[in-house]
Amino acid sequence: MQEIIFQNHYILLMLEHFGISLVVYDKTIKELCDENQISTGVFLAFANLYNGVKYTPEHDYDYDDLQTIIRYLKNCHVYYLKEKCPKIEHYIRLMCEQNDQPETQMVKSFFKDYLNEITEHLNYEDEIVFPYIIDLYQKIKGQVTAGTDNNYSVTEYKEHHNDIEEKLNDIKNILIRYLPQKEDPVIRRKLLFSLFEMESDLNVHSHIEDSILIPLVEKMERQLQQI
Amino acid sequence: MTSRKIIRILLAEPSPIIAEGFCSLLNREGNRFYVSRTDDYEELKRIIHGGKPDMVIINPVFIQNNTTLAELKQEFHGVKWIGLVYAYFDPKLLSRMDALIQINDTPGDIISILQKQADAHNPEEEAQPSLTERETEVLKLLVAGHSNKEIADRLSISTHTVITHRKNITQKTGIKTVSGLTIYAVVKHITSLEGYK
Repeated sequence: MQEIIFQNHYILLMLEHFGISLVVYDKTIKELCDENQISTGVFLAFANLYNGVKYTPEHDYDYDDLQTIIRYLKNCHVYYLKEKCPKIEHYIRLMCEQNDQPETQMVKSFFKDYLNEITEHLNYEDEIVFPYIIDLYQKIKGQVTAGTDNNYSVTEYKEHHNDIEEKLNDIKNILIRYLPQKEDPVIRRKLLFSLFEMESDLNVHSHIEDSILIPLVEKMERQLQQI
Repeated sequence: MTSRKIIRILLAEPSPIIAEGFCSLLNREGNRFYVSRTDDYEELKRIIHGGKPDMVIINPVFIQNNTTLAELKQEFHGVKWIGLVYAYFDPKLLSRMDALIQINDTPGDIISILQKQADAHNPEEEAQPSLTERETEVLKLLVAGHSNKEIADRLSISTHTVITHRKNITQKTGIKTVSGLTIYAVVKHITSLEGYK
C-alpha cells in the first residue's frame, strides 16, 4: 500500500475520504480494504481516478458498495465545506488586503456566490439524494418493504447535478490571466494551489457520482420497478 | 533554423530506450523544445486535455490499439500528429499522420521535420486573440444583465448569432459564467464598476 502513496501523495486524501488511517504500516491494499470493509474493486477504481485513469467498469461494483461510496462522498463534502472553502476564503481575504482594488473585491463576492451554490448542492446530496439511495438499497435487501411509492428518481438528481466546477475554473482564469498583481504574489500562489487542489478532488468526486453511483442507482430503480 | 519559437512536444513512446534517446537528441538542439513524455494512452489524452502541445510524436501502436487518428484529430483540433516508426504498421494509418520519423533518420532530418510542422502550425491556434468589436459589445450588454434575446434586439442580430459570439468570448477569455465575465470586463476596462459594488 505505501508504494502507491509515495507514487501519488493525493492518495492520502483518498484514504482520508475513505475514513482509513493515514499510517498504513506495511499493510497490503487487500489487508487495508478488508480491515475497513471496503471492496478492493471500489478502492482500486478510486485510486485509479486519483491517478487520472478513468477506468471504471460497471460490473466491478455491487449494491453492498453503496454504503462505502456514500460514506466516501459525504467525507468529501466535509473536506470541501469545512476545510478547503474556508481556506480559499481566507486567502482571498488576504489577497484583498495586499491587493486592494475593486476587482479583488469582486473576486471575493464571486467566491461567496460560489460557496452558496456549492453548499446548497452538497447539502441537497446529503439530505435528499443519499437518504433516497440508502432507502432503495434497504428495499432491495428486503430490510424495508418495497412498494412505498416514492416519486423521486435519480434522473431528477442528474438534472440537479449541475456543473459546480465552472465557477472554479473561471476564478482560476481571472487570477492567472487577468487580475493585475500587486503585493500579493505569495498569497495568490497559495490561493491558486488551493483552487487547483479542490478542483482536482472535485473532478474525481463528480466522476464517482456520474459513472459509478448513478448507474448503480439506476440499476436498483429498474430492478425495483420490476417487483 | 530561422524561427526560434518554442515548440511544445508530447512524446508518446512505450520504449524507455527510444524515448530517452529521442529526448537527448532534442536536448542537443538547445533549449527550444518543451517536452513532456508518456508511455500510457490514457495519460496521453489527459496531458493534451491539460494543455495542447504543438505536436504529438507518437508510436503508432497507441493509435492502432486504442482509437483512430481521425478521432484524435477531431478531439484535439490543431495538434500535429507525427508517427515515430520502427515497426510495421498499416500504411493507411501511417499515411494519415502529419509527418513520419523513421528510426534511422539522422538528427538533422528529425529536427527539420519538427521545424517544418511547427512552421505549418495552424495560426488560429496561436495565442489568444483579443475580442472583436462586436464581441465586446455583446460582452458589455451581457454583464449589464441582458438576456440573449435582448442583446439580439439591441444589436439587430439573431439570437443564434449572439450565442455564437458568447461561445467565442468564452473560448477567448476562458471564462464561462456571466459573473466571471463581469470581473473580466472590469479588469479590462470594458465596463465601468458602477452598479457592481
